[in-house]
Amino acid sequence: MVVCTKCGDPKVVLSRKQSGQFLCKDCFIKSINKKVQQTIRREKLIQKGDKVMVALSGGKDSVVTLDILNSYYKRYVIDLCAVTIDEGIKGYRDDGVAIAKAHAKNLGIEHKVVKFKDCFAIDLDEIMGYENHRGSCTYCGVFRRWIINREAREFNATKIATGHNLDDESQAILMNYLEGNINNLSALGPLTSSKSPKFTPKIKPLREIPEKEIGLYAMVKDLDVHLAGCPYAHESFRMEVGNILKDLSKEHPTMMYSILKGYDKIKPLVRENYPPQFHMGDCVKCGEPSSNELCRACTFLEELGHEVQL
Amino acid sequence: MSYKLIFKELNEERELSSKTTIRDVLEDLNISQETVVTKQNGDVVIEDNEIHDGDEIQIIQIIYGG
Repeated sequence: MVVCTKCGDPKVVLSRKQSGQFLCKDCFIKSINKKVQQTIRREKLIQKGDKVMVALSGGKDSVVTLDILNSYYKRYVIDLCAVTIDEGIKGYRDDGVAIAKAHAKNLGIEHKVVKFKDCFAIDLDEIMGYENHRGSCTYCGVFRRWIINREAREFNATKIATGHNLDDESQAILMNYLEGNINNLSALGPLTSSKSPKFTPKIKPLREIPEKEIGLYAMVKDLDVHLAGCPYAHESFRMEVGNILKDLSKEHPTMMYSILKGYDKIKPLVRENYPPQFHMGDCVKCGEPSSNELCRACTFLEELGHEVQL
Repeated sequence: MSYKLIFKELNEERELSSKTTIRDVLEDLNISQETVVTKQNGDVVIEDNEIHDGDEIQIIQIIYGG
């Protein structure tokens, strides 16, 4: 009979192929917390006194990020707040927003829901009605980052925490390789900052945790999470790369971890020759940091015949 | 011998042949075990677990992509 490798409990919840371990519920929860704490400490993701704003969609990754950071909040190591973005995706986003609100209320932290419609006078569903659109994920990523950066300043947050997991990070690394996007490649990592004081540093505490284990953590801890797929996700290159990686990982279970660790080793060399493009100026329309006259959000909005609602 | 299978809208009694594991059921339904968590009689379990007569097997999709 299979038992927990650590304590001998026969109620095993995970067979961790990458290490050969079998873990019971308690040892699994402990192992995730320990691993995330190690990432936070090694990469110096948070300092005592930080105010961390979690980008909280209500999905498993952001809810687990909030749950783990809450242990720092409860010990008065950090202050915690959260922002939820409503992109305006009918039949999908409302459930996530409700779950996010409930978590924030339960922890007693500051929380704000910000809508694309209120910021840009147009939502994602409406954008997808345009004939020559650039693809849902392109707008969603740019507009979400625009809102998150602004809200972090509103909250006086010193860090923005996102729920990026091992699958997301290895996908991003591979995508940038495949597209020859070496400047973007050098900007990835556990902690990203910018020279512009208008950008709040972003941290990824879960970047070494496989996506399945994050889902499992939410299940065994009975965390309420929004389990649904974005209706626009199938349009993305990311999903194609993700499927390739998942297939490879079946026979090579350490593959994603190797991609991440290999990237971390070459990153200093890549940065030396291909530094990330910092936004040195401000957008003439919205005032957000931008390397061009117009930031990407304002460029996209201009194409759509809209502008930022300031 | 039979067991109950719950997955999304599926909620049915299935016949149980000699030795069936949860992995067999996932393969039969063409579900990647990397995208789901499985429960046996309400407890989260690993896919190697054998299904017994009268069991309730619930498959919960946790990874959707995107």
